[in-house]
Amino acid sequence: MTTLADAATDGAATPRIDRLGVVIAILMAVALALPFVTFRATRIAAGNGLRLFDALPPTAAAAVGAVLIAALVTAVANRRPSLRLALGALALVALALGAGAAGTHLTPADSPYARIAPGSGFWVGLFAGAILMTDAMVRLKLGPVGRLIALAVTVALVAGLLASGAWSHLSLIAEYRSRADVFWREAINHVILAGGSLAAAVVIGLPLGVVAYQLRAIRDPLINVLNIIQTIPSMALFGILIAPLGWVAANVPGAHAIGIRGIGTAPAFLALFLYSLLPMVANTVVGLNGVSRAVVDAARGMGLTVFQRLLQVEMPLALPVVLTGIRIVLVQNIGLATVAALIGGGGFGVFLFQGLGQTATDLILLGALPPVALAFAAAVVLDAAIEISGRGKA
Amino acid sequence: MIDLSHLTKVYGDTAVVDDVNMHVEAGTITVIVGTSGSGKSTLLRMVNRLVEPTKGRILVQGRDVLKMPAYELRRSIGYAIQSHGLFPHWTVARNIATVPMLLGWDRKKVAARVEELMELFQLDHAQFAGRYPHELSGGQQQRVGVARAMAAKPALLLMDEPFGALDPIIRGKAQADLKAIQRRTGTTILLVTHDMDEAIHLGDRIAVMDAGQLKQYAPAADILARPADAFVDDLIGTADRPFHYLTLGTLGSAVEPGEADGAPLAASASLYEGLGALLWSGRKAAPVIGDDGAPLGRVSLSGITDRAAQPR
Repeated sequence: MTTLADAATDGAATPRIDRLGVVIAILMAVALALPFVTFRATRIAAGNGLRLFDALPPTAAAAVGAVLIAALVTAVANRRPSLRLALGALALVALALGAGAAGTHLTPADSPYARIAPGSGFWVGLFAGAILMTDAMVRLKLGPVGRLIALAVTVALVAGLLASGAWSHLSLIAEYRSRADVFWREAINHVILAGGSLAAAVVIGLPLGVVAYQLRAIRDPLINVLNIIQTIPSMALFGILIAPLGWVAANVPGAHAIGIRGIGTAPAFLALFLYSLLPMVANTVVGLNGVSRAVVDAARGMGLTVFQRLLQVEMPLALPVVLTGIRIVLVQNIGLATVAALIGGGGFGVFLFQGLGQTATDLILLGALPPVALAFAAAVVLDAAIEISGRGKA
Repeated sequence: MIDLSHLTKVYGDTAVVDDVNMHVEAGTITVIVGTSGSGKSTLLRMVNRLVEPTKGRILVQGRDVLKMPAYELRRSIGYAIQSHGLFPHWTVARNIATVPMLLGWDRKKVAARVEELMELFQLDHAQFAGRYPHELSGGQQQRVGVARAMAAKPALLLMDEPFGALDPIIRGKAQADLKAIQRRTGTTILLVTHDMDEAIHLGDRIAVMDAGQLKQYAPAADILARPADAFVDDLIGTADRPFHYLTLGTLGSAVEPGEADGAPLAASASLYEGLGALLWSGRKAAPVIGDDGAPLGRVSLSGITDRAAQPR
């Protein structure tokens, strides 16, 4: 392996030090110095940080340490993207397995209340490894299909780790185990809130965008109203909706029967839907406006009717921009749906706010990590879709 | 083929097209020429109702276009524009098939027509049918645009600055090709341009527009010989006028008996080309041969230049 000093003496032809690599290496060094796991006597007791060699048996600690150091050196000294990708992935796997092993190693046989959680060193290392990997993927110029495969592999690895029981002694999994039923119920709630409000926004927002594109007169007023909704803080919007929905539930026959209440899922769903409208409508208008005038003129001149023009020419050409709107909405909704728990709307926020109330860090993470992972996966999938839909439209 | 009577388009207080009367003969190329803002594009776009007239009547093949559904009318008329307006998400073949598909032709007929047109426009079917517009050169895109406009065999083809985006060399070739294809198919063409050279080169008749009014509508030779007013005169350009005039006649019309030295010139070449050949080779005369290569006589410098003078 070429060291930094060797590379520097090679002269002008050799590229200079990789700046991002230096940042990654520093992060990795920090990760090695910080506590690898936190040990707590009970789930809400104060934590006690343990470094790598205190947390793991010597051979395992040495193995994890060696992989992290190899990743650190590669980040600075080697420019081959495939090697950087491999070492980034290896570092992540070593951290994941190491944390699981530390859980098993440290859990006392006689104390079921002790909790072992990944420490700051683990998280910083995870971050550094992830940057190293994503940077390598960008340099490899991975196409949309390649990125989807990378995502699928990641999902499979994480699922495998969870299923194998390698993490079963970690506190996060312990929190999950004690409320597995509720977890999946709220997971479904979360997906319904985020996905359902997106679907409603597409069904309503897309036609609204088309109408706003065709009729100049309503475009600006409509966008302005949606802009104002977007500026209302989510907590305030949930609050504002309680009164009118409560009234509807009490006074409109059948409304209560289909689940409309002042609090709960209905206002959360409605709020997420309202937030989704601006990106949907605005992106539809911008996408349609972006279709070349010559193309629209030719389509009219060839004798396409208004609907044929819209369906065969304008919408397909606007699709990448519309999909960008859907991506914005979905990622935004997955995050915002967490807040819905505050008004009884359910979702992963339930765990997050319970955890905040109990100052139980692990429970907070149980509520926070799944939406982050979901949003990330949604972004990757939709980015790939946007890129594929934009092909051949140069 | 086309009859325009009292055709007027008013935007606000301005008459963009002002009481235009015009008759276009079937099977000819008519070029509407004028400066930008003269109303020439608006006039063209009223024929297929991309612009609705304020006043007046338009008959195409004896039918009042204002009484037909606009989309049906447009499918029966070819339409080609400056920046070709090809659909970027469709292949070349799908682009050309646009109107036949709208008219509900069956697949085989559409495929055969696309192949026929691509051959007519010198686009190799195997190579280009599956390509997307952005993978073609400017000249190829333009040819696909015209092929698309002619796909459903319209009797009338409207063209709005169809060669405007091409560089001069490709433009000359594209104009010659269009003229040859038009002679072969007999399609009536109404074409808009700001370029007098193009108008003279292509037009059987030329309509000169200024400020919404039809200033003169006549065969190219008449426009050159007897411009209706100062505006038309300006548009032609006084220095170029005799040379424009020479482009309209062939060497065959200037043949005189006798012999001359040097390389022979083709009788089908224009007087303009003959003059150039004589000037450049430093000769006073050159032999002329027919299409079959048989000697017809000679052309002389003075014989050509006599024909560049304004007729009386």
